[in-house]
Amino acid sequence: MIRSLRHRARAGWLVPCAMVGAILTGAPALAAADDPRIWLEKMNQALATRNYDGTFFHVSGGRVETMRIVHRVRAGRVMERLQSLDGSGREFVRNNDELTCYLPDQHTVLVEPRQDRGPFLGSLPQFGADTNEYYRLEALPDARVLGRTAHVIAVNPKDQFRFGYRLWLDEKTAMPLKTQLCDSRGEILEQILFARLDMPENIADSELAPAVKTDGMRWVRQGPAHEEPATGLSGFRASELPPGFKLTVEGAQTIGGATAPASHLVYSDGLATVSVFVEAPPAPDAAGADAHPAAPTEAPMQGLARVGSGYAFSTVVQGHQVTAVGEVPALTVEFIAHSVKGGADPGRADPARH
Amino acid sequence: MSEQIREQVSAFLDGELPSSETELLLKRLTRDGELRESFGRFALIGEALRGSKHALLTKGFASRVNLAIDGEPVTAAGTLVATHAARWWRPLSGVALVAGVAAVAIVAMQQRSMTVPGAPAPGAAGPATVASTTVPAGAVSADAKLVSNHEAISYTVPATSIETPAGPPTGRLTNYMFAHSKYSYGLGQRGVLADLLIDDDEPAGAVREPAKQVPVRVAP
Repeated sequence: MIRSLRHRARAGWLVPCAMVGAILTGAPALAAADDPRIWLEKMNQALATRNYDGTFFHVSGGRVETMRIVHRVRAGRVMERLQSLDGSGREFVRNNDELTCYLPDQHTVLVEPRQDRGPFLGSLPQFGADTNEYYRLEALPDARVLGRTAHVIAVNPKDQFRFGYRLWLDEKTAMPLKTQLCDSRGEILEQILFARLDMPENIADSELAPAVKTDGMRWVRQGPAHEEPATGLSGFRASELPPGFKLTVEGAQTIGGATAPASHLVYSDGLATVSVFVEAPPAPDAAGADAHPAAPTEAPMQGLARVGSGYAFSTVVQGHQVTAVGEVPALTVEFIAHSVKGGADPGRADPARH
Repeated sequence: MSEQIREQVSAFLDGELPSSETELLLKRLTRDGELRESFGRFALIGEALRGSKHALLTKGFASRVNLAIDGEPVTAAGTLVATHAARWWRPLSGVALVAGVAAVAIVAMQQRSMTVPGAPAPGAAGPATVASTTVPAGAVSADAKLVSNHEAISYTVPATSIETPAGPPTGRLTNYMFAHSKYSYGLGQRGVLADLLIDDDEPAGAVREPAKQVPVRVAP
């Protein structure tokens, strides 16, 4: 009895201690639950693994397009369909690692293997030390989207060389109900606003079938590539880079419409990417612009152009056409394109001085 | 745009439109191009008015572009003469309105091909060292400098632009962007793909064959 009372007494003392302990230990847990990194991971997980069918507005440059996204994961296979509902009628369908682009306005269907497995809606890479150096994650006050409570997360660029994001993540599913692409001052460049988002258990095959009738359309299928890398272009590199950008991929591609492969360099800060294409000048024995291997009927390009929510900048370096494109500010594509130099040493690494 | 639809758009952008009405609004927007344009402007105005902490507040700039917002007049003091009492307009201050007007004007200026007069020759840009976060002086266009002397407009959206016949043609840019999209990370890729889905008003046949890819090596 005494023992029992003592036990009860001790238990009674332990209860508030346990509560205090729970509160103390729970505080970090609560803080962790609100950690933007955790929410971004939840979003990535949801985008990659859940079934969803939604309609959203894509607002960019004063234009609004209504689009539908269908994403299905079944037995490890991912199928996706992204469809323009009110504009060009174009559709993209991805079946695991093959991307088919239906372009009815161009009477063309493009089929291309894709190594990237990221969802059409886009996820974000994990934030590590490198990324944290150039972006600041911030949890903003919750807001309402589609009648649901959303956690709002800002990915703020720390300088003018990259864009940032704001994401409204559904409190229950972590799906991005609304996203914004912003410049370093917070000005909105692009918005995605969901008008409807369902997450069904099953999605029928018919929902992933393109609505485009392909009768009479030209099919262009890109088979496995066996081309050699572009010769004579491997020495071209960006001699200086904006902070945090590094060369991540180097290869060669024959850009559509060109007759010779271009050197393709990809620079990234872990979140933003910029592609640099270097194309050879016309052959010495061929007169006129018609002989330009990059584009048989076009003169060399110079200047800046807006491309969707990103920019392209073209210039000529040592007689070579250099074009930098990416979802980055104009400053960044200009900076990188201007710093490209040719060189005899193809193995030299891009500087990443710190 | 009728008062009812304006209210619906406003409620939707506030995240409070019932799903049944959202479906109706969606159908209207899908059918009606003019309504979509208004919706796009409202989406940006509403965003600025909800408290964008980075909104531009230049009154002169706002005056020049006040017609961008659906014909709503802006007074010299930058105050909206609200002929329609949409939800988010009710509590507004003049300053907030100017911010919205500026935002609208900025996006209206984005869809142009631009040259960079005075841009440095290759190698003359004098890029900043990698460790520096300052903008390399030579890499900023003369236009952007000129504008920034008068208005606090972001360089990323130059207010003055000159079309050039030598600028990158749209069809070629589409091909570059398509080739780029496979290396674009995450949300950036979504943007690229969405842009490629949008009709770019090119003549038929302007889209050429896809880029031929050869095996790539990942830089160490």
